[in-house]
Amino acid sequence: MAAASSEEAIKAAKVLMVGAGGIGCELLKTLALSGFSDIHIIDLDTIEVSNLNRQFLFRRSHVGQSKAKVARDAILKFRPNISITPYHANVKDSLFNVDFFKKFNVVLNGLDNLDARRHVNRLCLAAEVPLVESGTTGFLGQVTVHVKGKTECYECQPKPVPKSYPVCTITSTPSKFVHCIVWAKDLLFAKLFGDKNQDNDLNVRSKDDNSSKTDVFERNVDEDIEKYAQRIYDHVFGYNIEAALGNEETWRNRRRPNPIYIRDALPEGVVQQNGCSQDHKNEEPEPSEPSAMVSLGLRNPQEIWSLADNSRVFLEALKLFFEKREKEIGNLIFDKDDQLAVEFVTAAANIRASSFGIPLHSLFEAKGVAGNIVHAVATTNAIIAGLIVIEAIKVLKGDYQNYRMTYCLEHPSRKMLLMPVEPFEPNKSCYVCSETPLVLEVNTKTTKLREVIEKVIKSKLGMNLPLVMVGATLVFEDGEGLEPDEAANYALNLEKILVELPAPVLNGTKLTVEDFQQELKCSINIKHRDEFDEKEPDGMVLAGWSGPVDKQVTSNGEKKPVPSASRTEELDGTAEDISEKPGMKRKLNEILESKENFDALQTSLDVGSSSAQVVDDDEDEDLIMFDEDPKQGKKKRLQ
Amino acid sequence: MSGGIARGRLAEERKAWRKNHPHGFVARPETLADGSANLMVWNCTIPGKQGTDWEGGYYPLTLHFSEDYPSKPPKCKFPQGFFHPNVYPSGTVCLSILNEDSGWRPAITVKQILVGIQDLLDQPNPADPAQTDGYHLFIQDQVEYKRRVRLQAKQYPALV
Repeated sequence: MAAASSEEAIKAAKVLMVGAGGIGCELLKTLALSGFSDIHIIDLDTIEVSNLNRQFLFRRSHVGQSKAKVARDAILKFRPNISITPYHANVKDSLFNVDFFKKFNVVLNGLDNLDARRHVNRLCLAAEVPLVESGTTGFLGQVTVHVKGKTECYECQPKPVPKSYPVCTITSTPSKFVHCIVWAKDLLFAKLFGDKNQDNDLNVRSKDDNSSKTDVFERNVDEDIEKYAQRIYDHVFGYNIEAALGNEETWRNRRRPNPIYIRDALPEGVVQQNGCSQDHKNEEPEPSEPSAMVSLGLRNPQEIWSLADNSRVFLEALKLFFEKREKEIGNLIFDKDDQLAVEFVTAAANIRASSFGIPLHSLFEAKGVAGNIVHAVATTNAIIAGLIVIEAIKVLKGDYQNYRMTYCLEHPSRKMLLMPVEPFEPNKSCYVCSETPLVLEVNTKTTKLREVIEKVIKSKLGMNLPLVMVGATLVFEDGEGLEPDEAANYALNLEKILVELPAPVLNGTKLTVEDFQQELKCSINIKHRDEFDEKEPDGMVLAGWSGPVDKQVTSNGEKKPVPSASRTEELDGTAEDISEKPGMKRKLNEILESKENFDALQTSLDVGSSSAQVVDDDEDEDLIMFDEDPKQGKKKRLQ
Repeated sequence: MSGGIARGRLAEERKAWRKNHPHGFVARPETLADGSANLMVWNCTIPGKQGTDWEGGYYPLTLHFSEDYPSKPPKCKFPQGFFHPNVYPSGTVCLSILNEDSGWRPAITVKQILVGIQDLLDQPNPADPAQTDGYHLFIQDQVEYKRRVRLQAKQYPALV
């Protein structure tokens, strides 16, 4: 498109907005007020009460209705003459195919999950329609421009996915508060109250397996609950730490933890305290939900408890679980909205943090870490929406020299809170927008086609309805439009071992994989390998793939940056990757004085979506990612 | 691998057809005995147009794609001896859009080919005869020509 005036470009534009949530409401308003007059909106969600604080086009009476439709109606009240076409539908619906996307001059994303973002990216590439992508997390946000052949696509750089941690960091060598939270939540809480059949590494370090076959975490028949609680306390915070100290090698370059026993934490004895808590119960009406804080008279969730208080909360919460919620024991899963569970995890994490010399945190903070909560900031959404429109106008005018990725920072860098960065060129080895083949190492003599499709093509490459070809032979198709006999053949093929497929898949075979809807295709070169070790649990390894990075490969995390819950840390990975890529080195580092801002931003977008832990997935809803302990992190990262 | 372009295009054609195709038409990659499907050969069915003498017939047509597709058109074949002025005795269809030197363009889709051949059935092109039998009857004896066409339609009933 020739460079025209902004007004003309806007007037002529037909734009597609995907998402009518936190960013979407702001974006639709800004588009309408900027003069856009042909806007289509896709959103599959309906309005919820928790949206109302920031999704300002919606009112209480709209709860339960389609976001796309209500947003349209709200805008038409003050811009009655523009055309807004709402779709209350999933953008992954086949209705929104390449031809549909081709009708638009630009696509604007305000999405909340990685999956949908990847899908839209692929359709935009296939339809050759520019994409302006965005996301926010609390005070952080970003807007990026993706134009096929000119800038990198959304998937040119790996997107960090929320990670679990190397088991040894959690079980033995925590260095951050989040490690203590993960330990308390995923190991201790799960061990005591969760499914007993689940694997649990809590006790990997203690050597008491030869003492007896009984599980130290089981409450003995008729064991007094207080004794039991104290026994658990002494075991996990005292005995286990002492046992771990025996391994000198581990502590050569680390601060040695202090074992903590009840007698140290509560030298005046527990009994008194228990008496105290009993008194409380007698005075006050039984709380509807059992709470150790209430029992102990602790009222302020933002206050950091002493080790003694944490110890009391730990014992009391454990006791309350057994006294008030015994039926749930064995089936409990940590839930950030379960007060007693949060109390228990906070206390346990803090006691462990004391052992390891890590600063303690309040219940409020601990809940945030444990629940991956980041509160949405309406202002960030509004800023990001404005930036989307600025980039959209440049795209419409074909002004590609001036495209910018813009990061909205929490702390000023060079006195700027909005950090523009020149877009990167497409990554030549991106499996989505380039043709470079991937390499899959797999045992072709034992692996079924089904496993390759599930573990690689669907879960790693993100396809929904794959077509799998060996040369010109179709060995698998999925989706609509298949004859019954075709579908039956493909079902049989799924269960065949690779070498036994009609077109045998052997060492050196090139598979071509396409998606029925996404218009994504890629080639996978097969490399046969007999053996896979336990670090490769899928029994196959995909290389040349720039998808989500898994940093947690090694169990001896010492030499690597310790992966942590904090996204900023994970993001370091992303930034490194960028600067290491030839041709990718740009002004990035020059521009960004403080790398951590950039890192945090890089990720902010997707993180929420794919996290299993994130309960609420709305990009702007309360949650997505948590930038843990900023002070601590910063010192380390400033270089 | 040669044929990468052909294969890629054929996979696109396959997806496009699965998503949407004209009523009554069939077009699918040849299914082999081993349960795989060969994208280079498609088995198709063209329904005779309603209101013509061809109505009621479901004519089998095979498309053979070469590695040079879509630079070169596919070879389209009816069964041997198919009665039509523009079909060679071998069954090969003679049609301008299927001729690399005249009407073929790489952008022509499988759907357009099949619809084009459906049109050809009732609108033969006497300027390009490919068989004597069909051509002579069409020129000289319309009554007998029509009888032969209707007879052939009965030979290719719908496959249920």
